[in-house]
Amino acid sequence: MRNSGRMSGALRTTVVLAFSLPFLVLVLQAFADSWTAPSLIPQEFGLRGFRDGFAGGGAGVALTRSLLVAFVVTAVSLLLAWPAARVIGERRLRHPGPVVLLLAVPILISPFAIGTGMTGWFVRLGLTDSVAGLVLAHIVFSLPYAVLVLSTGFSRRLRLSEEMASSMGIGPWRRLLMVTLPETRPTLALAALMAFLVSWGQYGSSLAISGGSPTLPVVLLPFIGSDFEVAAALSLLFLVPAVLALAAANRAGRVR
Amino acid sequence: MIVGPSGAGKTTLLRSIAGLEDLDRGSISLGGKRIDALPAHRRGCAVVFQEPRLLDHLDLLDNVAISLVAQRTPRKERRSRARELIEEVGLGEFAGGGVKGLSGGEQQRAALARALCAEPELLLLDEPLSAVDPNRRSSLMDLILQLQEDRGVTTVSVTHDRAEAAEMGQVIALLIAGTILQSDDPESMFRRPQTERTARFFGLNLIHGMVKDGHLAFEGSEIAVEGPDGEVTLSIRPEAVVIGDGGQVEMTAIEAVYLGTHVRVILKGEQSVLEAHVQAEVSPAVGSKVGVSLPEPQLWRIPAG
Amino acid sequence: MKQPAWRNAAMLAPAVTATVLLFGGALAGAVDQSFTPPLGGGLDSWSLDNWRSVFGDPVFGDALVFTLLTTAMATVLAALLALVIASLMRRGSSAARTAAAFPVPVPHMIVAVVAVLWLAPGGLADRVLGSLPINLVRDQAGLGIVLVYLFKETPFLVLLLLAVMGRRLDEQNEMAAVHGMGRWARLRWVIWPAVRVPLGIGSIIVTAFVFSAFEVPLAVGPNYPPTIGTYALEVTQTDAISGAGEAAAALLVGAAASIAFAVGILALASRQRRSDA
Repeated sequence: MRNSGRMSGALRTTVVLAFSLPFLVLVLQAFADSWTAPSLIPQEFGLRGFRDGFAGGGAGVALTRSLLVAFVVTAVSLLLAWPAARVIGERRLRHPGPVVLLLAVPILISPFAIGTGMTGWFVRLGLTDSVAGLVLAHIVFSLPYAVLVLSTGFSRRLRLSEEMASSMGIGPWRRLLMVTLPETRPTLALAALMAFLVSWGQYGSSLAISGGSPTLPVVLLPFIGSDFEVAAALSLLFLVPAVLALAAANRAGRVR
Repeated sequence: MIVGPSGAGKTTLLRSIAGLEDLDRGSISLGGKRIDALPAHRRGCAVVFQEPRLLDHLDLLDNVAISLVAQRTPRKERRSRARELIEEVGLGEFAGGGVKGLSGGEQQRAALARALCAEPELLLLDEPLSAVDPNRRSSLMDLILQLQEDRGVTTVSVTHDRAEAAEMGQVIALLIAGTILQSDDPESMFRRPQTERTARFFGLNLIHGMVKDGHLAFEGSEIAVEGPDGEVTLSIRPEAVVIGDGGQVEMTAIEAVYLGTHVRVILKGEQSVLEAHVQAEVSPAVGSKVGVSLPEPQLWRIPAG
Repeated sequence: MKQPAWRNAAMLAPAVTATVLLFGGALAGAVDQSFTPPLGGGLDSWSLDNWRSVFGDPVFGDALVFTLLTTAMATVLAALLALVIASLMRRGSSAARTAAAFPVPVPHMIVAVVAVLWLAPGGLADRVLGSLPINLVRDQAGLGIVLVYLFKETPFLVLLLLAVMGRRLDEQNEMAAVHGMGRWARLRWVIWPAVRVPLGIGSIIVTAFVFSAFEVPLAVGPNYPPTIGTYALEVTQTDAISGAGEAAAALLVGAAASIAFAVGILALASRQRRSDA
């Protein structure tokens, strides 16, 4: 019994290392100016990857654009999702199936297909290569996750707490601040994280509709085959907001 | 019937018998066979847990017939067997449906039917009434006793409720801090506790003192005590304490709480405090002095130990 | 407590309208594009030329087969691995679970970069192990793609599985054991029914993603055959005239395949639910 316990402990450690350790290579490669085989650590450290990555200013603009788009997408997705999630989470519908399926089905379709399908419209509306166009395309994929995650935070129990607050003479706005938001905070944080990450990591749809004013991943991809240092440096920058968002959601999601 | 305060190790004991908990030492035998090396599913012990633990994805019939599913009994046969048991526990009207809509009490009845369906050599009940709403408890308890009598299946049941233990048990074992303090029939447990802790658990009054020449001083009077002189502890049940004029001693009623079936009166004297359960008609006003008698046959001398 | 129907409808309206307009509009746009004649013509002229040339292209056939194979391998292996890892991690500390879930929030693009740095010829894995026994970057069989998706998607499935492998499952397992169920019977009657829902939903999401995304195949996939995604990208980039229409047709085939798989899993689930009952 005890022996098998130690064995599974070792296996667990192996699993944890296998899924987290490989990312360390990004840090090494990003700060390496020279790293050739067969050395296991870079021969020369430096910031060439960052310098060359940002040369010409394209990566910097792409980074800010990606951030801006991701924040707007997160906010809009949450606002659109909130009332719908409430209806679904409180099980108010007798047959929720069709509505849930409709809201979830974009997850199944290739972002590149959606982006390709949107270009025709965007050309007519003058939205190609614009932040608004990127936001509209990304919402297609962030909204389903926002609805599905948020809906798990609403329940009849929350409704009872709200009714209690109303019965004590608390108005709708204060009730939202004092009861609803605190009680839904963990799921709200998770939904915001999902919406943010879906937009942040979008490649296919961004490539299709906004080749002229690219987001960070669109700038990053060509470097993967050609320049490891630049690819690693941009990846590291690309990873930072994702990790920060995860940490923030983790904090916000902690009850009390 | 195993009774004890929470944290005494009742559930652990039950789980060890069922094979859900490993033994550090000792052995378990059932019907003369050692079973402690067998895995849980080959011990022939069925358990009714505190929670019903029904499987949502199966309907009521297959939940009850789960032991037959395990034995690969043909579907038709196991479902007709389950139907009989569902009738027996009074859930016949739900036989065609799922388990999600059942109330807590109904789910626990289903769990009982499920355990009986396994035809266990030993039936283990872990506080089976704790998750059931108080109004339904007695009917479920009656059902358990009835089924036990009909089938003659040996049952070990644990509870923290001494009244429940007294009503359901043929033999009660008191378990405190992992040790069985006393094992007896229910009446003996209440009338002839072997240790002070047993007496305290069953809610008995304790009177301490020194016996001299066969008598014990008590609130200015004396109680005759059999046995040798020396230090002694007597016990008496709260129902046996008599309140009324012409009592042996005088005490003050400091609390009287009406509990529906009786009034609980706390009596305070010079040296001691007693609890008495009396009918509402004879309940004293709080603060009044009343006569108190301790009928001699009801007093029990706890063996020195 | 009861809400009037119009109120529910009003609350659903923002999300439903956005989905119908954006998603429906995009799908309609893609369908329209796929039927638009390559050489223009009137506004309301349409033709099957794009579809014909896509289905007539042997490269598309190879791409379809290759995509189906890698997707099937990645999904099935990720699901199996996730079951093993989840049953191992459920007794682990929450710190260990969090660390093992690290790839989940990381964008696919970064995972692709990490994969290249490790697996490329002369990459870290080569240096640590002396030399890799098989080539995983740009390999014809697409093993590199499968491996990268396993790394990225298995932790996601593990998270979904751990959510249902809590105390309740332990309790039901004990119940089944004391009613005579051995290890295999419990796996069939207690554990499998509990995990199949998140596993099914997770597999649908993974399949849809693997089937259509092209960050990973662009980074580590072979030059030939392409996947559906890289095929569509290539035709848009190489053929300015008919490319968009052909890409739309190819992508719609991919979308149809994802939806068909999802419908299949859901149908299987409802049949199993009926056969249990």
